[in-house]
Order: sequence, then structure tokens, then C-alpha cells
Amino acid sequence: MVPTTQAEPDDRELVQTIRGGDSLAFEQLVRRKTSKVYALCYRIIGNAEDAKDISQLVFIKLWENLEKYDPAYAFDTWLYRMVTNVAIDFMRNKQSRDNAVNSTLRLVKTEAAAEQAVVVQRKEIENVFNEISSVLSPKQKTIFVMNQMDDMPSSEIAKILGCRESTVRNHLFNARKLMQTQLQKRYPEYARLWRAQ
Amino acid sequence: MINCPEFRSAFQPGTEDADVLAHLRACDRCLDHAAHVDPDVMFRALGTGEMIPPGGIDAFVEDVMRGVQIRTADTVVSRRVLSWPRRLAVAATIAAGFTGATLFMTHQQPAPAGTPVAALASHHTAVRALSTKPVVENYSSSNATIVEVPNEGASEAQVVLVVDDTLPADL
Repeated sequence: MVPTTQAEPDDRELVQTIRGGDSLAFEQLVRRKTSKVYALCYRIIGNAEDAKDISQLVFIKLWENLEKYDPAYAFDTWLYRMVTNVAIDFMRNKQSRDNAVNSTLRLVKTEAAAEQAVVVQRKEIENVFNEISSVLSPKQKTIFVMNQMDDMPSSEIAKILGCRESTVRNHLFNARKLMQTQLQKRYPEYARLWRAQ
Repeated sequence: MINCPEFRSAFQPGTEDADVLAHLRACDRCLDHAAHVDPDVMFRALGTGEMIPPGGIDAFVEDVMRGVQIRTADTVVSRRVLSWPRRLAVAATIAAGFTGATLFMTHQQPAPAGTPVAALASHHTAVRALSTKPVVENYSSSNATIVEVPNEGASEAQVVLVVDDTLPADL
């Protein structure tokens, strides 16, 4: 007897199966998308535990709203829309809570520090990003993350966020400008490296 | 995935090459090199690919499925509440409560004058009673307090006191 290899169902097929009441198919979908959803949440939120909670919330919302998904559109676009909506909402609430705290975290480095040669390290970049991106609006940060770290073109981001491509480009430009200003204030040694375009 | 020498020879500022970017996001040794050639890749190097949530994928999926089960159970319970016998019971309770409250309020209110003829007769009596006691003086005040002394029998006269500190004492 020749063993048959069954191809993995694609996202749309899985959704159809889930709609038929198969919770195992949903588990399969969650397993498939977890690392991507969590990574995006983590980059937007900047905190592992919060990112985990938000990712779980995204999947529960996905389960509740699966009937609304139109298979004519890409599943990932729909999923990312859910991720960005939940993450942006969370960030808005968090920012309003943290505003007072952030105002005391303005670290300014000396001119001498600016002249030091920088050995670029991943963990350090991550810390720098988390700190300087705190000045961005949740939407600006989301767009920056999707474009710069997830390599998404602005047309795709516009589809996900339901806005015009020019709006996305505008947000990107402003995000870079704001981050450059923060880099100059807090990490002048990196500001020489990274520039606003 | 390409190796380090391949990456360093292929890396160009502003690159969109998926293999080059994948290497950049995985290799710490090449990151410093790339960031000095094209500083714009500094934050791009962070990437969003393949991250494991704290506790691992299995625990994460378990938590999600538990959350889904709880939500589903909630939905089932709320649907059961809305089944027709329960709806009927809720409607009957509300109707009984409303009827009871209406009856209670009706019972507490003074008895109505009865028929329109009776109401008219009582109005005539009041007019007649007033006409025997002419008005001494009219005045208006926003500070007056009206005290009504309850009468004990139907034959007793109703005593009403009007107390107003702003009026002159010799009025």
C-alpha cells in the first residue's frame, strides 16, 4: 500500500472547516499563526507578557468573528487588521496610563557619547527602539513596525488599516522624524548612524 | 539561507532582497557590518518573524482554546436563558410585578371623586363654602411655609397655617 501524503489545508480551507464547527481546525490555525501574531504584537507593544495577552485576545476575537470573514480577501490581511486594531487599542489605553511616567524618562547623553564608535548589537537596538518609539502614536508605531520590520509595502498596510496609501506614507515619514529627534536626544551615538528620510 | 560571505557581498543599501534581510535578522555578526554600510537597516534588523510567546507555543494554544471554550460556554448559557419557557417566565414575572405595583399605587391614592357628576357636586360645595368667607387680603410670597393640620373627623374644619417670616409682625 502506497502511503498518501495529505497536503496541509490553506487558511481559507481551515476557516471553512472551523465554520463547520471543528475546533481542532481552529487549534491548527492558532498554532500556524501564533508566532507571526505574537511577533507583530511584541514589536508594537514592546513587552512580552502584554504581547502574549494581546495575541491571545486576538485569537479569541478571531474565533468570535470568524463568520464575518469574507474568503474573497486574503486571510492574513483580515487577521492583521484584527491584530492592529486590538494592539492599537491597548497602546492607546497604556499610553494614557504611562504618560506621567514617560515624562521622567528623558535621558540625555553627552556630546562625548555621541562621538563614541558604536558596535551595533541586536539587544541594544531593541532597547533603543522600545525607548524612542514610545513617543510615536500607536498608529504610527504600528505602521513603522509593519513596514520596517515586517517588510510590508504601504499598499498592503493601507488595506489592513483601511486607509489610503498616502496616509500610511505620511505616518511613516512622521514616525521617522520623531524617532530621529528622540535618537539625537537620548542616543546621539546612534543618531549619527540612523537618519530620517 | 545565505551565509555570511554571501550576505556581505550581496548586501546593498536599501535592499529588499528577502534572503539578505532574513540573514540580517538572524546573524549578529553581520548586523554591525550592515548597519555601518546602510544605517537604515538598523531597526529593520529587528524583524517580526518567528517569535515564541513566553511559556511556549503549546501553552499559548492551550490558553487560547480554554478562552474559546469559556466564551462558547457563556454563549450557550446566554442562549439557554433566552429559550422560550424562560422568556415566558421572565415576561410573566415582569407583568405580575407591574400589575402589583399599579394596584398598590391605586390603593394608596385618595379615592377619586367618582363620577363626573359627583365631582361637579363637590366643586359646587367648595365654591359655596368659599363664598361665605370673603377674602381678607391677597399677598404673594416665595418664603411662605404652608402647614396643614390634619383634621380628625369629617365634620371638623380643616386648619391651614401660612407661616412667613418676611411678613410684618402686625399684619
